[in-house]
Amino acid sequence: MKRPTQPTETPQVGRSVPRLESQQKVTGRAEYVHNLRLPGMLYGKIFRASVAHGRIRRIDVSAAQAVGGVYRVVTSDDIRTLLPEPYYGPAFHDQPILAIDKVRHVGEPVAVVLASDPHVAEEAAHLIVAEYEELPAVFDEVQAMTSKAIVHETLKPAGTFPDLKHLKGRTNTNVALDFHLRRGDAERALATADHVFEHTFRTQQVMHTPLEPFVSVAEPRESSLTIHTASQSPSFVRIELARLLGWPENRIRVKVPFLGGGFGAKLYVKLEPLVAVLALLTRRPVKISLTMEEQFFTLTKHASTFRIKSGVTKDGRITSRQCEVWWNGGAYADIGPRVTQKSGFTAPGPYDIEHVAIDSYALYTNLPPAGALRGFGIPQLVWAYESHTDLIARALKLDPIEFRRKNILREGRPQATGTPMQDAAIDKVLERLGVLLDWERPFDRGSGTVRRGRGIAIGFKACISPTTSVAMVNVSADGSCIVYCSTVDMGQGSDTAMAQITGEVLNLPTEAISIVHSDTDVTPYDMATLGSRSLFHMGNAVRLAAEDARAKLRALAAEVGLTAETPIADVFRKKYGMQAGNVIGTGSFIPSYTPPDYATGLTPNATPFWMVGGTGAEVEVDTETGHVRVARLVNVADVGTPINPKIVATQLSGAAIMQLGFTLFERMDFDAAGQLRNASLAEYKIPGLLDLPREMVNEAVVAEQRTGPFGAKGVGETGTFGVSPAIANAIEDAVGVRLTSLPLSAEAVYRALRAANGEPLPEE
Amino acid sequence: MSPFELVEPRSLHAAIHLLDPDDASIRAIAGGTAVMLMMKAGVFRPRRLVSLRAIESRFSGVETGPGGELRIGALTPLAVLERSAVVRREWPVIARTLATLSNVRVRNVATVGGHLAHADPHMDLPPVLSVLGARVTIAGPAGERTVPVASLSTGYYETVLRRNELITTLTVPLQGRKRAAYLKCTIRSADDWPALGIAVALEMDGAAIHDAGVVISAATDKPTRLAAAEAVLRGASLDEATLARAGEAAAEGLDIVGDAHGSASYKKQLLRVYLGRAVRAAAKGAA
Amino acid sequence: MSAVRRTIRFKLNGEAVAAEVAPHANLVEVLQGEFGLYGARESCGQGLCGCCTVLVDGHAVSGCLYLAAFADGAEVVTVEHSASEQGLDAVQEAFIETGAFQCGFCTPGFVLMTRQLLAEKPDPSEDEIRHYLSGNLCRCAAYPEIIDAVKLAARRRKTAP
Repeated sequence: MKRPTQPTETPQVGRSVPRLESQQKVTGRAEYVHNLRLPGMLYGKIFRASVAHGRIRRIDVSAAQAVGGVYRVVTSDDIRTLLPEPYYGPAFHDQPILAIDKVRHVGEPVAVVLASDPHVAEEAAHLIVAEYEELPAVFDEVQAMTSKAIVHETLKPAGTFPDLKHLKGRTNTNVALDFHLRRGDAERALATADHVFEHTFRTQQVMHTPLEPFVSVAEPRESSLTIHTASQSPSFVRIELARLLGWPENRIRVKVPFLGGGFGAKLYVKLEPLVAVLALLTRRPVKISLTMEEQFFTLTKHASTFRIKSGVTKDGRITSRQCEVWWNGGAYADIGPRVTQKSGFTAPGPYDIEHVAIDSYALYTNLPPAGALRGFGIPQLVWAYESHTDLIARALKLDPIEFRRKNILREGRPQATGTPMQDAAIDKVLERLGVLLDWERPFDRGSGTVRRGRGIAIGFKACISPTTSVAMVNVSADGSCIVYCSTVDMGQGSDTAMAQITGEVLNLPTEAISIVHSDTDVTPYDMATLGSRSLFHMGNAVRLAAEDARAKLRALAAEVGLTAETPIADVFRKKYGMQAGNVIGTGSFIPSYTPPDYATGLTPNATPFWMVGGTGAEVEVDTETGHVRVARLVNVADVGTPINPKIVATQLSGAAIMQLGFTLFERMDFDAAGQLRNASLAEYKIPGLLDLPREMVNEAVVAEQRTGPFGAKGVGETGTFGVSPAIANAIEDAVGVRLTSLPLSAEAVYRALRAANGEPLPEE
Repeated sequence: MSPFELVEPRSLHAAIHLLDPDDASIRAIAGGTAVMLMMKAGVFRPRRLVSLRAIESRFSGVETGPGGELRIGALTPLAVLERSAVVRREWPVIARTLATLSNVRVRNVATVGGHLAHADPHMDLPPVLSVLGARVTIAGPAGERTVPVASLSTGYYETVLRRNELITTLTVPLQGRKRAAYLKCTIRSADDWPALGIAVALEMDGAAIHDAGVVISAATDKPTRLAAAEAVLRGASLDEATLARAGEAAAEGLDIVGDAHGSASYKKQLLRVYLGRAVRAAAKGAA
Repeated sequence: MSAVRRTIRFKLNGEAVAAEVAPHANLVEVLQGEFGLYGARESCGQGLCGCCTVLVDGHAVSGCLYLAAFADGAEVVTVEHSASEQGLDAVQEAFIETGAFQCGFCTPGFVLMTRQLLAEKPDPSEDEIRHYLSGNLCRCAAYPEIIDAVKLAARRRKTAP
């Protein structure tokens, strides 16, 4: 592909530049850890727990060890010869590298077989035998609050989060975090409200399903380790491995090429501690590639229960709201406590409500761990509060848009935490939805056995804070430019966006700019690629770095007596007498933040920016089978000012389609003993081309995030927010039944129809 | 996957003699999609695989016989059947069924014989071939025998085939005046395994149904003929009342087990609904 | 656990090659391990996602479900093929122009399947596109753009000299 390098006056921001790595991706040559093979490399195959909760009586690896070609079989005993405390995790140091004493969920790693031939490792792993004394287990998040089955004997908060400190050493509880917010007096306001509505909504456990499953390689060097890993958080991997090993950070190098999808799965640490200790034990490079099946036992999205209660005036003003949310975190906390708190901020929805009470609980259970999945808990909340909002509007016979119009948070008004809304175009998103859905026009309601309905939902999110990004921009003597940043491009187009921002500052065509992928020995610190934070945080850091480089170039030009307009190459040539030298600009960005008061949950500064997303759905329901077909899906978002409008549209659309799967059919199906019955793509279905809505519209409203790089803010998660409740609201509009649990399966719809007709379908 | 001996005999006769009636760890492999899945899942660990890919070419191909019947070699890939002009013309229900069977890559590789011998009750062709009155020729050490497709499967992944027998030919009688349709109902994604498959073949006499064949799949552990529904349809006029009665007759007394695709009672509802839809589709000659 | 390896000879992207393969090795493993071709990659391991798509004798197959031994004597083509000889083809260009991928992991499979579709049906309807490609999954869900890409490639191929 032709790559222009001459300076340009054309604005780079706002251009729909094709992704910089396009050619590599369509020719199959893009670099993934999946592709990495090193000389002498061993392949590891994990042997996993077969019970949900059990004390390990015995692990017999002798048969596996005896298989020809097996290099070594490793259990936690071997690991503890290297590390006395081999527990990791971003919020709690609760997860053992391999199970120690107990297993806490089916599929937990118990042992690893290493061999040069992955088939040999796999076959030998089948020969490992483990015996457990089974313990009572708990699977439901609400039951976990009071269950006698305790997943962790003692809580071990990591100490990095001040609001977790009080949990240290706590015993006899499954609560890994409780977040409480009180603003006004919800209790009293509810007692005096004209109308009170209370509903409970549930969501199911689902999985990210990146098509490149988890994969990590550890490469031992003389006195250091290089980790090649499909990770969204290389800087965290380095810091956590340094902590585990007791090494300085500079002895651990973490390299991340492209990711074949992430969606929050590949955050913090996953396989990295395991491959690291295996490499140190064997002094050989070790690679572990999970299968699709194994991904289901590694990280999932929280199932949740949300009880929501609102007081509303006769004329439709919401005056009070109580929210109780229970998050099913599975056996290890991962980032669940952050999900619990950060999403807790916005549990009452984008509404201007005087009296608010929020109680949000992260629970341990004996299911595979849950973490962040494209929305950090927000889709679960929007599902509940927008279903609830619609139910209220129906009960009060108010138009759903009009009811929301009356109650939404407007610019400058304080949100639940007390933080005033800034640059949050909630009103615009709502109004644009109405226009795109032709809301005022008569709607075709179908006939016979196919009934049509429509619904809307809006949601918002506070971007996680405080987090830091650091970037470097290197301008070479010929004027070409390289950006160093640890943001991981997992498909969201960050390489391209960072190049556009740099190009905008330095007047260079985006296509001429190179991006160095995450390499912690080379690229500076970044908190992680998560929560739609990168474009805002790293985008600002890159902009600052490019501005720094520009200032230095101008200073250099002045120093050698040239004007600021002189071509860069001429400046360097004059300075060094030949093509030599370079200029490095650096940028570091951390937005301000005030942590919430522990007792009240209130803060004047909860987030650096708000994300706003809304969805309208038109559905067709088959009244004889309950099948729901989404005829039209309209997604509208406030993304600030898009850096790359095409990529923004595909992000909105992709997120909405992913959420469509979570809405209609995706579900991890556990039996009563905690065994997962559908750990494969044959039985856990994700949306394909035949599942698309017949028509989709994706639109960003005209908006500006004044603190963002060139007015932009994050977009990766926004398209997920409103999809589930919009569809449930449309189903009720079509056939008059309300579903309160996801997924909205055909059978659930049909059962609700039968129940509404007074002829319930037998359970079995 | 663990290693195995892979042998590639040049003749059907040799292949049969490389199989062992008493050894479940020896199996034939043709396209191999199903066998590979079972091996990768670790549920099948062969000692020997007998590849049929190099046996006589007469066991692969589509032709019509002297009576106008369709004769399909067991090693014919499903895609070849799907594209066959004669199949599209004379047995359009088969071509239409194939168009939504699994995906293009599977159809390119999986063979007709392997598809039938695998006997997963969720598969699409067995109910269709059953209502069309198709039969398979089976070869073993003692010679050949013929079995109707309708009685080939005896349960989940089980057939009347002995371990040293192979399907060699599928024969489908001329569809003639029969109008047929196959509908499947998927519950999760559109490309999910069906919760229910239903094949209907009708002989119409004006607006009345002269004769009807109905076979369901997926909801039962093997393709199952619905004689009670057939009896209701036979001689009746094609109207809502008849279809409702046939649906009830089909659902009643049928042993359906609930699974991830739906509860038993829900699948019975699907059967009531899809029976009527399939009969209408067959009568229209479409779908 | 030792296996009798066999030598297979086949044409790989137009070039005659040979490889020693274990009986249980699948085609993707051999393409990656012996030939350094990573465009076909295993994801679901069940032939459902299409990430491992390879052409064998002109037919698309799931390479992760295809015994490498069966490629003996065959003509094997991977996504790397045209890129190495003629640059990008109309399908690849259309995927880039319409933004029909995000993470790129499934993209080689979609590109190869689209080539097959257009070879069979030069002017496919949207319904035909959806059905033909329904055996390929994209978790980033660039599906609307993929449909656009197929349509664009079809138009380009028609007008190309």
